[in-house]
Amino acid sequence: MGSELILILVVVAGFSFDFTNGFHDTANAMATSIATGALKPKVAVIISAVLNFAGAFISISVAATIAKGIVSPKVLVGGDGLELVLAALIGAMTWNLITWYFTIPSSSSHALIGGVVGATIVATASGNVNWHNLVQTVIVPAILSPFIAAGVAALGTYMAYRLIRRLGQKEARTGYRYGQICSASLVSLAHGTNDAQKTMGVISLALIAHGDISAAHFTVPFWVKLGCALSIALGTASGGWRIINTMGNRITNVESPQGFAAESSSAAVILASSYYGYPLSTTQVVSGGVLGAGLGKKVNSVHWNVIGQMVTAWIFTMPGAGILGGLAWGIADIFGANSNVGAIVICCLAAAGAFGLWTLAQRNKITPQDLDRTNVSVVDEAELGGVPPAVAVT
Amino acid sequence: MLVVASPYINWSALWKICVAALIGGAGVVIVFGILLLGVKIANNAKSGGREWAGYALAGVCGLFCVAVIGAGIYAILNKPASKKPAPKKTAAALVAPSFKSSA
Repeated sequence: MGSELILILVVVAGFSFDFTNGFHDTANAMATSIATGALKPKVAVIISAVLNFAGAFISISVAATIAKGIVSPKVLVGGDGLELVLAALIGAMTWNLITWYFTIPSSSSHALIGGVVGATIVATASGNVNWHNLVQTVIVPAILSPFIAAGVAALGTYMAYRLIRRLGQKEARTGYRYGQICSASLVSLAHGTNDAQKTMGVISLALIAHGDISAAHFTVPFWVKLGCALSIALGTASGGWRIINTMGNRITNVESPQGFAAESSSAAVILASSYYGYPLSTTQVVSGGVLGAGLGKKVNSVHWNVIGQMVTAWIFTMPGAGILGGLAWGIADIFGANSNVGAIVICCLAAAGAFGLWTLAQRNKITPQDLDRTNVSVVDEAELGGVPPAVAVT
Repeated sequence: MLVVASPYINWSALWKICVAALIGGAGVVIVFGILLLGVKIANNAKSGGREWAGYALAGVCGLFCVAVIGAGIYAILNKPASKKPAPKKTAAALVAPSFKSSA
């Protein structure tokens, strides 16, 4: 019975992680549409939230894809499984908040995997981590996917601008703005099917470990689906304006043909990879797509210092979340195995850290009004070579 | 470099992903541009034949774009994690059917 409280904390942490995942990743789908003025910021995040919510329910069933083949199953469903999952979720959530504070788009999925691996290593031994599978299914796709998205987006953008010469600026840019809404919506839907379900898998594992649902007749309880869908939708609707600014304005000055090329390429790479069994980081693919869209128009239009910051964050995401997950486990373990006190302490520390970062972020807050570009006409966009830069936060 | 990477890369899946990304990514952007061109031709046409040709071009391109969106939704619905699990799965199979300890 002592684990009842830990289970409740795991569920709360799972929903909280999904919330951070939502506002962290809103930028993936909607940053370029907001940056080009195709959509008002609030309208964009509401569309994205609805599609994320719908996406969470689309798949027929949820396999616990997170940590699949990476961490030994006996660790996650074993005696210390609940506490380990809690530590992993806290590590991932904290990393998401740190990168959000520094306005860097980083992968929530990699943070969660890093958290699980880090907590597992500290709790048990590195022998419970399958490094080969980690490299094969997570790291290699993470390295290749942004390059593929960038290449495809660069080609698409280059061809789009050649067509624009024949079309005329106004018609082309207006048309591509409509196209952007469609491609961004597809990315939102794909995000909902991927990311909400990862947390559903984690919470379901905790329920199996606790004996609440049967592993033999595995179904995700409806309340878990609903909770995860609502959490990611609410997170998305709250709008991660800081990261939207980075993705939409700081990598390159995105114009509507570039935005359409970036989102279409990203959607194609994400869905094709997912279909062939390689779920990717939406963040990394879309960042690659935006970079490619910049390169496709003009190589020196890309702000390489921002790309450098992002790549550095990507490299450190898994180790960073792993260290935080391991640290959370270590602190909880001070109070003994499966200790309620330990679980409460790490949750309180995480909550305090989240509040601290949120307070610090208020000093250089970015609002939807700062990012609204719907007043920029397609003619202005063409003349300015992109939308006027939004507020720059360093 | 390739020799080192080979055990970690599924080349068969990689080229399929690249082709799908080219068609669904760059292909859609180009075809959508041609769609807009078709609409422009139709709007600026001085003869009925040219107008219909423009609309026909836009229509074909529109169908291609819709087909790609349909393929995307199909991929969402049929990804490996969406397929129904086999009956009588154990917790271990659910988490890591292919796990082999590296220890």
